Amino acid sequence: MKGRLLTGNAAAAAAARLARVDYVPAYPITPQTEIIETIADWVREGTMDSKFVQLESEHSMMTAAGAASLAGARVFTATSSQGLLYALEMLYNVSGWRAPMLLVNVSRGLAAPIVLEPDHNDVLAARDSGFLQLHSETCQEVADLVLLAYRVAEDKRVSLPAIVNLDGFYLSFTREPVVLPDQGKVDQFLPPYEPVSPLSASRPVARGSAVMEGFVYSYFRYNLHAAALRAKNVFNEAAGEYEQLFGREYGPVEGYMLDDAEYVLVMSNSFTALGRQAVKRMRERGVHAGLLKLRMVRPFPTEEVAALLRGRKVVGVFDQNLSPGLGGIFYSEVAGALYHVKNRPKAILPAVGALGGKQITAKEMDSVFEEMVRIDRDGVTPSPMFLMRDDELARVRKAVAIAEGRS
Amino acid sequence: MTVRVRFHGRGGQGAKTASRILGNAAFNDGYFTQDFPIYGAERRGAPVTAFTRFSREEITERGFIFSPDISAVMDDSLIADTLANPFSGLRRGGVAVVNTTKAKGSVVPGRDDVKSVCLDLTGQALKTLGKPVLSAGIAAAVARISGINKEALLTAVVDELKDIGLSAEMVQKNVGFAAAIYGELSPLELKTEELDAREELVPLAVVVSEGGIEAVTQAGNSAIRHTGNWRTFRPNIDYEKCTDCMMCYAYCPESAMAVGPDGRVKIDYDNCKGCMICMVECPLKAISQTLEGGA
Ligand code: SF4
Ligand code: SF4
Repeated sequence: MKGRLLTGNAAAAAAARLARVDYVPAYPITPQTEIIETIADWVREGTMDSKFVQLESEHSMMTAAGAASLAGARVFTATSSQGLLYALEMLYNVSGWRAPMLLVNVSRGLAAPIVLEPDHNDVLAARDSGFLQLHSETCQEVADLVLLAYRVAEDKRVSLPAIVNLDGFYLSFTREPVVLPDQGKVDQFLPPYEPVSPLSASRPVARGSAVMEGFVYSYFRYNLHAAALRAKNVFNEAAGEYEQLFGREYGPVEGYMLDDAEYVLVMSNSFTALGRQAVKRMRERGVHAGLLKLRMVRPFPTEEVAALLRGRKVVGVFDQNLSPGLGGIFYSEVAGALYHVKNRPKAILPAVGALGGKQITAKEMDSVFEEMVRIDRDGVTPSPMFLMRDDELARVRKAVAIAEGRS
Repeated sequence: MTVRVRFHGRGGQGAKTASRILGNAAFNDGYFTQDFPIYGAERRGAPVTAFTRFSREEITERGFIFSPDISAVMDDSLIADTLANPFSGLRRGGVAVVNTTKAKGSVVPGRDDVKSVCLDLTGQALKTLGKPVLSAGIAAAVARISGINKEALLTAVVDELKDIGLSAEMVQKNVGFAAAIYGELSPLELKTEELDAREELVPLAVVVSEGGIEAVTQAGNSAIRHTGNWRTFRPNIDYEKCTDCMMCYAYCPESAMAVGPDGRVKIDYDNCKGCMICMVECPLKAISQTLEGGA
């Protein structure tokens, strides 16, 4: 068997070590803690040559990370959920400083109520922050995307911070075989970071200063946007080289059984595995099902999404997130990508599910494809699906009855 | 074929470690492997579920196992626990591996289409390890039943237990424990079939019809969730020695030490989790422990 058994958290830590990061400011939170514990152990043992500092909050952690990155360090940090929200103010600053550090987010649903398992409202709260975002489906992908993210973030054409996302529990605590790249080849792929005009004590430099006037501000924001857009091609270049060196292929999106697919579900992150299973089951039933996985979330891979979804009968978007009062976040983004496409699908079905890591059965997953087929057959306008089972609802009702003293 | 194993245990018994030993053993034996635990914020004594999948082909499944081929239950009090529900979805032809001294024969209520394997793991663990930690034993049972090689298993026991910081001596005792259980069993045919899904989807209108702003208005309702069956050991007060100093009352983390109408301390066995802190703290050594009847 190739590789070794690693959790998603361990894969992230191992990739940070392979990337020879200089500085790791940290703050623990479930389910991310194993990442920083692992790195802290390695630094203490002397098997990782980095400076590790525990800060007093995620906000300070992100401030330290951005500042160190501007000083020319390769910076790694990680958080989850509430921690990401607490750091959010600094995310906008760090991207505005054009500091190419890396943040691993281990997705966990946001309070309140409180939950430990994943959905993507945490990482998507940072979707407008100017950080690039790469989302992973497997523990292998976590390791590979960390290395790719540094390459893209530090490229002079981009110079933006990046987030690599992995799902809590489903990846963070799940062990599976991971092939860690060879250090020598990683060094070749990811040479030491060379900052442009780094902060230094002897040579004052200012970044992200107060500009006060909107037109100056606009100039910088438009440039940030353009850099984020350029990141896609830079990623493609880097991914090509990565494939040559390591044999694993990564694009901004990934298709599954798309060739003759008529009903295509768009998914992201680890639950994509459940979508793939559903595609196989639907194929056995004679339904031409397929799947499109979003790996790159920022920049949004508009052209790839449009190219792979045009000509399909019905597209579904599985959102493991919820923007209350709107619906799923990716739904709007996919619909936006398809609006001007000739031969666009005749309907796009929004499906929200797996919030807070709600388990999804085969029947639930299949129901999304069945609904896509029904929409096509009956020519009806899709109404959003919100996945929940009768046994789950019965358990909620029972708990509520106890909480209110009605049982 | 993918073998899907679901471990049910209580925090502290080693369900997560069992899933990792099995995963590691299968990996050593050349399988693709995946293992992962689910637990909430509660720890020792609370139900824990952990999973292992292994297959000769790459594993494309992920997450919760609804339809296990093998359901491994480390504490027979979990069988009746509706939140743990350890046999839910167990496939036709699947195997229930249960740590119990009570049950013989079939342990899965109402299911004659599954096989049962009953073992007194707690007894053996107490004998060989001196502690009711079952990970190596239950992993060995599942490994043997599913045909995993012995060397692969024992290497995994060493790796995983070293990894969580056990002393070399404890690791060796666990290797002995695993080898003994492995030797007691033989492989079973795992020709299984998934049960038909019975669940129905409910539309949003039904889910949201009650407003969804419910508050907990009934304070102290956690007492309704009887955690007494989490105990491995039962504390007993010797009222001859007890001076009613109330140290146990102050230290009990579960408020399971009450004061009876006669003014004497009294254990609420419905909720006592058996942590034995009271026994350690009692200055008069008036509290002793006995092994609970089940696991
Ligand atoms: S064992 Fe003692 S301290 Fe622990 S829960 Fe029971 S009564 Fe309380
Ligand atoms: S600590 Fe011991 S002596 Fe004191 S009340 Fe409890 S059982 Fe009695």
